[in-house]
Amino acid sequence: MTQPEKNLTEKESLDLIAKMISQAKNSYHDTGRSAMLWGTVVAVCSLVKFTEIQLDYNLPFDIYWLTILAIIPQIFISRKESKDRKVTTYDDIYMDYVWLGFGICIGLMILIVNTMGYHWQPVAEEYSKLSGKESPFQLYEFVGPLFLVLYGMPTFITGAACKFRPMLWGGIICWVCCVITVFTPVKTDLLLIAFSAVFAWLIPGIIMERDYRSAKKGLAQANV
Amino acid sequence: MFKDLDPILHSQLRLAVMSLLISVKEAEFTFIREKTNSTAGNLSVQVQKLKDAGYIDVIKQFKDNYPQTVCKITKPGIRAFEEYVVSLQSYLGNGKP
Repeated sequence: MTQPEKNLTEKESLDLIAKMISQAKNSYHDTGRSAMLWGTVVAVCSLVKFTEIQLDYNLPFDIYWLTILAIIPQIFISRKESKDRKVTTYDDIYMDYVWLGFGICIGLMILIVNTMGYHWQPVAEEYSKLSGKESPFQLYEFVGPLFLVLYGMPTFITGAACKFRPMLWGGIICWVCCVITVFTPVKTDLLLIAFSAVFAWLIPGIIMERDYRSAKKGLAQANV
Repeated sequence: MFKDLDPILHSQLRLAVMSLLISVKEAEFTFIREKTNSTAGNLSVQVQKLKDAGYIDVIKQFKDNYPQTVCKITKPGIRAFEEYVVSLQSYLGNGKP
């Protein structure tokens, strides 16, 4: 494109438009770092909780506080990605809103579940006192499926919108695990949540990061 | 009767810039330069022509102490681009075999 005012034939113009639109569409590669971070954090929290129940010990703190701490590196990752981003596509904006909405939903779900637990606990205790048996309904048995149903939604949408199959399958895995956890005890739920986090976020994140690095390397070589 | 093609758009580099910007919300000057494989000087001139025509907005700002130029297509730019594509299609659809 060294000739500034080169006029084109109609066919050349249409071909150029198609080429440029396709280049713009393929211009952005997510780093995958956020997916790797959250895949690791959720898997670690679930596995640690599982070992607490399995080996009958208690950490001096609730392991799920790790999910709050993980917001700090997430802020750094988001700022770095935004700084490195040379182009903002409409897909990027939609995806940002989908994941922001997901974060809000998770926060609200934590609030709802804790409030329900707070109100349900005295009822369960009263039942046990009167009947001498443990309550047949344990709220915590259904916490896993509630979170898994949420985990699946943005993962599936991202996978479908970005035509990224590992995440599409990751979203489906979350929902399959959600159905299973409705019928399984808490220990199994925790293992399935860890499994879902690995397949929905950690592994797709590693693949995205690998693709991002190879795209960046390719671009650097092209500019030499 | 064929409509005349917009002379602002009917030029290789300007059309390439508009085609890139139509598919994204905004793009840095360096990104456009990479994708159009043009020189900075040449691209600056063509970007200025598009800006003068009111087809794009050019935002000059500082990012981490470095100057940064961001381009985004305007509503008149989108309209002009759409009309240009329709005109092209009518030329090709009604042209000689």
